[in-house]
Amino acid sequence: MGYKNKNRHVGIVGIGETKFSSHREDVNQPEMIHEAVRQALDDAGLGIDDIDCVVHGNMELFEMVHQPDMWHTLGTGAYGKSAFRLTTGGTTGGTLVSGADNLVASGMYDVVMAVGFQKLQEGHTTGGITNMADPLWARKLQSGALTAQAAVKVIAEFGEERARRAAMTYRIIMDKHACKNPNAHRAFHLEWDQIDDLMAHSPPLIGDLRLIHMCSQSDGACAIIFAEEKKARKISEKPVWVRDHITVHREETLNLANNYYPIDTTHRFAAEKLYERNGIDNPLEYFDVFEMYDPSAWWGLDWLRDFFLLEGDAHIRMVENREIMIDGKMPINPSGGVISTNPIGATAMIRVAEAAKQIRGDAGEHQVPGNVEHGLASSFGGTMWTVLTMLEKETNW
Amino acid sequence: MAEYYGVDVADIFNTMKSRFRPEGAEGVDAVFGYDIGEEGKWKLTVRQGEMTLDEGGDLSGCDVLVKVDGRTFVGLNIGKIDAMAALGAAKLKVEGDFNLFAATGKLFTKYVPPGQEVEQEQELVVLKRTISVNQRFATGPVMGTFLKGLKEKKILAIKCPVCGRLQSPPREVCAPCRVRNDEWVEIGPSGEMRMLEYCYYASPDPLTGETRETPYGAIGILLDGCRKDEVFWHLLRPDQLDAVQMGIVMGDKVVHGSRLRPVWSENRTGSINDIRYFEIDQ
Amino acid sequence: MQKDDFSNSYVVEGKLALPYTYFAGRLGSTFLTTLRDQARIMGVRCDKCGKVFLPPRQTCERCLEDIRDKWVALESTGVVVNFTVVRQQDKHLPRKTPYVLGMIKLDGADTPIVHIIEGVDPDKISEGMRVKAIFAPESEPSILLINHFEPAA
Ligand SMILES: [Zn+2]
Repeated sequence: MGYKNKNRHVGIVGIGETKFSSHREDVNQPEMIHEAVRQALDDAGLGIDDIDCVVHGNMELFEMVHQPDMWHTLGTGAYGKSAFRLTTGGTTGGTLVSGADNLVASGMYDVVMAVGFQKLQEGHTTGGITNMADPLWARKLQSGALTAQAAVKVIAEFGEERARRAAMTYRIIMDKHACKNPNAHRAFHLEWDQIDDLMAHSPPLIGDLRLIHMCSQSDGACAIIFAEEKKARKISEKPVWVRDHITVHREETLNLANNYYPIDTTHRFAAEKLYERNGIDNPLEYFDVFEMYDPSAWWGLDWLRDFFLLEGDAHIRMVENREIMIDGKMPINPSGGVISTNPIGATAMIRVAEAAKQIRGDAGEHQVPGNVEHGLASSFGGTMWTVLTMLEKETNW
Repeated sequence: MAEYYGVDVADIFNTMKSRFRPEGAEGVDAVFGYDIGEEGKWKLTVRQGEMTLDEGGDLSGCDVLVKVDGRTFVGLNIGKIDAMAALGAAKLKVEGDFNLFAATGKLFTKYVPPGQEVEQEQELVVLKRTISVNQRFATGPVMGTFLKGLKEKKILAIKCPVCGRLQSPPREVCAPCRVRNDEWVEIGPSGEMRMLEYCYYASPDPLTGETRETPYGAIGILLDGCRKDEVFWHLLRPDQLDAVQMGIVMGDKVVHGSRLRPVWSENRTGSINDIRYFEIDQ
Repeated sequence: MQKDDFSNSYVVEGKLALPYTYFAGRLGSTFLTTLRDQARIMGVRCDKCGKVFLPPRQTCERCLEDIRDKWVALESTGVVVNFTVVRQQDKHLPRKTPYVLGMIKLDGADTPIVHIIEGVDPDKISEGMRVKAIFAPESEPSILLINHFEPAA
């Protein structure tokens, strides 16, 4: 892989997130985006004149509006500035961060604002995703982003009872986190004694994937401002540094073979490469927080193994022992994650924004206790694609 | 000039022209004088379905003279104050033809202070649409060869000259090997079922916009002649959803799935619909 | 297979049919309901740069000022600043061709809006022509609450 070190350090100096919900009839798209943009500018103490370039993105075909970046200058402030539009499906938010990071690191721009959004209420999410499939074959067969593949896999390996209980435990942990995050879209206040009831009675969507396991369809936007090191230190008292990011795509493919272990996923491949080139021997030890793009409880459970390069049932035990809770050994998604909140084009960016807030120590009620220095954020999209982003409190790596 | 209820008296006069209703002015031929105390004087002339407004000046000779304070005038116009109550409290005085005054209500659409709707239960505009675009997809020679095979009840796969991997539906290249595929192989048509997506959720068929009947099964089938991940993606006969078994390979652990065969359509046009679905092969 | 053998290439007819919904938001709804109920065209003014925008918007795109409350009533008359004649018929178009699409700057506004101009021969339309809005309050709440513009006396 043609990977080179960055020309210069890039810091996150401003973060904005809207409140996420299923109903934003009160604002149109640029108005909604502007809420996040305004917050990010205020957070950084900057005006729009301080921004050199705007990078904008969402997943297309959900709002049925084309070239939204042009219309959205009303909300982004990109008028008269350099501007780019990036759209890579579910990974869009991660790609926006990667793009903004590259633009600053390259030296082309000193201060770049990335804006990700989605207004899923305006379109038809499952229909939109299905229409991205090959029109001559897969459109007829694909059921949006809904699939039971992860459930089939975990059940085949660990048995129905243990697998289902672990997936529902994961789900309840995420809900408990979401209840601490005022921006979260869905926070049900689920209790531990509801596990059996939910396992039996939550409406099934596909196979063992039930409604309660699946992510929400949300409206909202996220904005992050990136600056080169000197300016970053001037703008922010606690800039969060983007140490590295990696993107792994591959041939369009779904796992319909049930040909499982060992299996080389883009998540695992990305994690291996990223840790190797940054000298991370034990990611579980190294990272203090991980914001994962977990579109369902089954995927979240299964992917822990890939991202932390685990073997056997280590990932299942992490969940069973509740080590992934906000005060556990390896806090996963203190924000409540994607199951609670999924405005798709913003979702992966919210992972980075939330991990950065944790490192700044100002996440609020869902702040991980203790010192948070090393953060990891993942993006997921397409037919199993990955973007992984590493964040740091210091530049001492 | 003072604001009452967040509205200037002048706002109400200045918007009269755009709120004027010619149909409400039918048969009205009159001059209305408005004496709004400290706020000023206005003269409204309605003639032959049109209106003119003059600010200031002499109000003598008007057919109707309305004397009212600014606060009451604004209150009347935005619906905060009832006209009869104001008349009763002597906050509003009408000199001249009272019936003409009563007719002024029909002359204009109601004044709504802009921006103030936000604080009220506002009507939020929602437009519902369905985008419907006809499309034409070029198959290209590779997908075209495969689709033509279906017409003859043949399922074709394309083979990578380097790794030997079979792809069906075919792609022009083998992405991992970065080479052009060059050999056609007939596979199946029967095979072993692997993945079953047992769909309860009714998603729309994007080709028609119609909601699919549920439950249905989307399946991965390892057709005879294929290995490893070389599965074929299609549908299961709906009444056999609960009768099939998924095949799974996990390390050394192998579970064989149900044997399936294609059910071909009578009229085959070279599309995915040439196979209706797969069914259990007894 | 020969690289340039296209004897097996053909075209498959397809369709994309998807429902969607557009939310005008509070500001857009105020604009549309005022247009519908009062036949009044409202813009917003940016106090910082002084521009009056039509259609109204929540922020000034240049200053990024919040201008959602800075309503100003505009005249329903204006001037054609640019135009084109639509001649190719298509099922998505709002009128039978040929018809005129104009950029119309209303009196009191700094930005033009795009709308249909009727009552004038497409070949006789000119920049600088004075036009007035003809309202259609029965229409669904969209910019077509103004049915069209036509030459003003
Ligand atoms: Zn301005």
